[in-house]
Amino acid sequence: MMRPKSTMELVPGDDETYYLNMGPQHPSTHGVLRLRLHLEGERILGAEPVIGYGHRAHEKMAENRDYLQFLPNTSRIDYLSGMIYNLGYCQAIEKAMQIEVPERAEYIRVICAELNRLTSHLLWLGTYLLDLGGFTPFLYAFDDREKLLDILDSVTGSRLTYSYGRFGGVSMDVDDTFLRAAADYCTYFRKRIDEYHALVTHNIIFRHRTKGVGVMGPQLALDYGVSGPCLRAAGVARDLRKDEPYGIYDRFAFDIVTAEGGDCFARHMVRMGEMEQSLNIIEQAVGGIPDGPVLAAKVPKRIRPPAGEHYFAVESARGHFGMYLRSDGTDVPVRLKLRTPSFVHVATMPVVLPGTMLADTVAILGSIDIVIPEIDR
Amino acid sequence: MFRETLIGAWSLLVGMKVTLSHVLRAPVTSQYPRERIEMSKAYRNVIRLIEIDEIGSHDCIDCQACVRVCPSDCIKVEGERPDGMRKKRATLFEVEFALCSECGLCLDVCPTDTLGYSREYDQAGFRRDDFLYDLLDEWRDKEADVRTRLREDEAKKAAAKAAAASKAAAAKKAKEEATAAAGDTGDVAVEGEV
Repeated sequence: MMRPKSTMELVPGDDETYYLNMGPQHPSTHGVLRLRLHLEGERILGAEPVIGYGHRAHEKMAENRDYLQFLPNTSRIDYLSGMIYNLGYCQAIEKAMQIEVPERAEYIRVICAELNRLTSHLLWLGTYLLDLGGFTPFLYAFDDREKLLDILDSVTGSRLTYSYGRFGGVSMDVDDTFLRAAADYCTYFRKRIDEYHALVTHNIIFRHRTKGVGVMGPQLALDYGVSGPCLRAAGVARDLRKDEPYGIYDRFAFDIVTAEGGDCFARHMVRMGEMEQSLNIIEQAVGGIPDGPVLAAKVPKRIRPPAGEHYFAVESARGHFGMYLRSDGTDVPVRLKLRTPSFVHVATMPVVLPGTMLADTVAILGSIDIVIPEIDR
Repeated sequence: MFRETLIGAWSLLVGMKVTLSHVLRAPVTSQYPRERIEMSKAYRNVIRLIEIDEIGSHDCIDCQACVRVCPSDCIKVEGERPDGMRKKRATLFEVEFALCSECGLCLDVCPTDTLGYSREYDQAGFRRDDFLYDLLDEWRDKEADVRTRLREDEAKKAAAKAAAASKAAAAKKAKEEATAAAGDTGDVAVEGEV
């Protein structure tokens, strides 16, 4: 296991090096993350993320309310992939209690989760380019994201904190308008991806700022437990949707997008590729959605998972989101541990950042796509 | 080096072309305060009591299901059983919207489906009290009429039920009499009883 070199000590009598606190209020940290940087001029000698500014005790809250009441919390842990977390939590409880989910609900879940993945990646694209100084792609990406949010809003009634899943299905049925809108969006967005490539990926300034910057190699990534696009950008083809297919993901044809290099540019390419794969999945799901109920008829009134330990994980927009549940057979969980990808990703910063320039910190931090409430939970 | 500069310059031109193609697009921004946005059908906001056709008013029966399920403890319901009525009626339905997370669990558990979402969307206030919603407000002046009607309905229903019951009893009796008559004994005794 690689350990970060301890470079945070000031050497007595050394006038050349100094500390800089980046954050907790810094526009590029996308929230309240504080990076304690040890600098020599503009070169980073050491970095130490200081977390906890956005701590909301989600795990503790889970121990103080019943399973259904924790449902709204799940879309607030990672507010950018709230749908995936929300549905993932429902699936975790369903797996523990062996509740059958109707076919139609499974399809709706896949469509909504992938739409949510698109919104998350689009927001990442916009804000990342904004961090790097490009204002135009930010506006384009938010425009596209807004269209998606409207589609999701039309069925869930909310733009960010969906609370859409229910144990045994989803809370509301989708209509043909929704399905048509989702399919139309796929056609529309394929053209937009080409535009993004022309505007961003091929842009020489963008390439210079991201290629070879913030390298997170496969060994480092695996050592730390990095997952999601960051891991795939290091060339490791791991995706929970393929490796341990949950729901009905095994029915859809899609590729695991990987890239070589593990730098910021590779992470950009993986996310762009993933958006295309999400479109593929949505199109297949919209084409194959059957009629029927969206909520299982036989859901127990009291949600009491059998005593013991249960684990379930989904692939969120950021990576491996795991829920470890310890139940004693009552209404309230004994412990609900949430394994969130951003926490792991930000933990690699003390290894990735040293040796880079201060200005690149923004590029690196943006490219790993962290969500602060997810780090702090 | 020269080649790279050339490719770089070309990439910038390609990017410019994309931007230029968007110059003539219609603006997508809505000028919000001057321009109202239509909310989606499923839009979730503060809850309200919706009208149930058979009752002509809300149908909150003070069952406390929403109070129990609410993760934020923001609902307060009180009720009473009006004289001569079988069902309870709510006398207080308060929502502290400042605490509400709009999860919609209360709508799911409502046994009479009398909870729905309000359509207003730009609530803003200066005090916490501004977000203390009294959901019975819009129904209160109708409540007396509704109760009278419900009582009448219930009385009618009870009368109908009683009538049906007495009819059934009569039918049963007639049947018994018929059986007794067929048995050819006790005719006198039955008549005497009647």
